[in-house]
Amino acid sequence: MRTSKKVRLTPIYVALVLLAAVSVVPFVWMLATSFKHGSDVYTKVPSLLPLDRKTGDWSPTLENYDHVLQVGGLGQAFLNSVWVCLVLVPAKLLIDALAAYSFARIPFPGRDKLFVLMLAGMMVPTITLLVPRIHVTQQLGMFDSGWGLIIPNVASVLDIFLLRQFFLSLPGELEEAARIDGAGRMQIFWRIILPLSKPVLAVVTITSFIFHWNDLVWPLVVLNDPELYTLPLALQQLASSESGRAYYIMAGAALAVVPVIVVLLIFQRRIMQGIAFTGLKS
Amino acid sequence: MAYFIIFLLYPALSALYYSFTDWDLRTDAAWVGLANYADLIFDDVKYPHFWKSVQVTLQYTLIAVPLTLGTALAQALLLNAIRRGSNVFRLLLFLPVVTAEAAVGAIWRWLYDPQYGLVNSFLGLFGIPGQNWLNTPELVIPALAFIAAWQCGISMIIYLAGLKGIPDSIREAAIIDGATPVQRFWRVVFPMLRPTTFYLLVTGVIAALQVFGLVYVIFSGGGGKSVTGGPEQSGLTYVLHLYLFAFRYDAMGAACAMSFILFVFIMIITALQFKFVKQEAS
Repeated sequence: MRTSKKVRLTPIYVALVLLAAVSVVPFVWMLATSFKHGSDVYTKVPSLLPLDRKTGDWSPTLENYDHVLQVGGLGQAFLNSVWVCLVLVPAKLLIDALAAYSFARIPFPGRDKLFVLMLAGMMVPTITLLVPRIHVTQQLGMFDSGWGLIIPNVASVLDIFLLRQFFLSLPGELEEAARIDGAGRMQIFWRIILPLSKPVLAVVTITSFIFHWNDLVWPLVVLNDPELYTLPLALQQLASSESGRAYYIMAGAALAVVPVIVVLLIFQRRIMQGIAFTGLKS
Repeated sequence: MAYFIIFLLYPALSALYYSFTDWDLRTDAAWVGLANYADLIFDDVKYPHFWKSVQVTLQYTLIAVPLTLGTALAQALLLNAIRRGSNVFRLLLFLPVVTAEAAVGAIWRWLYDPQYGLVNSFLGLFGIPGQNWLNTPELVIPALAFIAAWQCGISMIIYLAGLKGIPDSIREAAIIDGATPVQRFWRVVFPMLRPTTFYLLVTGVIAALQVFGLVYVIFSGGGGKSVTGGPEQSGLTYVLHLYLFAFRYDAMGAACAMSFILFVFIMIITALQFKFVKQEAS
């Protein structure tokens, strides 16, 4: 019985290893290329390790990273991306949570209609809204600025929906008890609702971070000034200006990809959960 | 609330308004009625690539969506069949999802490199001659669809959740009845996954119709007006075309009209799919 089970599972494991290789090799190839000397990159026989093309010796280099960080502007872009995520994600969390709380717990006139309207708005493809949203951003004087990156993205209908559903599932008695003890609405929100919602807040935080760290389209249309470029945008620029130098581009790609992979490794369970709920905002 | 009016509701309505105008974002919009729509659809001198972009997008959708769902289902079935190591495999298969579009584009451009790319080297092992994937019009869409399938992790997670939701008793009953694994899949598992498949199909089609970031990164040779959409516009997807009109050629009115056509198309598809589901339920 035991062995037959093992035999039965072997092809499954073989298939999984092959599939996993397909999904991972591109990253290995990216990293390997990013550590290679320019002269070692273009070889007939590809090597997954940074080896010297003539001697076959181990010869990794950090030159490419140095180049893209200094000359390629990716250092600045990296800082910009970090800065945007540091401001955007907490601000978004706060605003979404407040909105979700009012939709879940504060009866105000027209609330449910408003909520349905908002959900209906979610059906409109992002691309349809792109041009007018740029126009609005321009009129508000936020075009081509850090604020233009942040303000229009600071609330997400999907996240509000997610948070609202979670808040609705919390027992109302807790709030009533707090109210009897003399707590105000904001106190209840801070002291009771938010601490109880840590799991869902974590999901929203992580998926938001991944989404905005990776986002290309909005920065692409809202920014002109290369000083403000976020990492995906700067990487895209690098890829087109240095298109003959794969080693630079792969170093840039590694800068964009590795932080998210680290986050994935740390928060894998929460991320998978979040994906199942939100589909990473797609 | 004001936020949603400014960044969601107002843009949605103004997109509709601007689609009836001639507008370059700087000057006032001039009312032209249905001219944008008529020109896009009928005037192939003014908009020579409109139908090409429609065709490219439909082709892409038809290849990428089934390929993605098939791969995702296969991965989920394999993962579901094993215990040991399933977390590790899940994580590895999921890696491509958290990768920025800009990085995905850069990495795959390097993998598809006709001379030094890993894809051709790999095919060479089987004696298959190398291809210039991204420069051969017929190969562009399959190459893009393969990248989409590589990134199928979200669908995989959702399928996995669906598989976990199938009660063991049903599976056991089928085994006792002497069903082979293949029979079990087609008669029991697949029908039970139908709601999941349907959901993934709807969201997958909607996402595929809007594919943009990846093609933008892959087929943008440089700044200015050099984004062409690949060899003979074979990678000129609808949204890339829309983007070019809006932000390269200053034809905001036409771009809004295009985005509205897409919106209506997506609505029709969604409605049809839901009607189909209702019929099935009754």
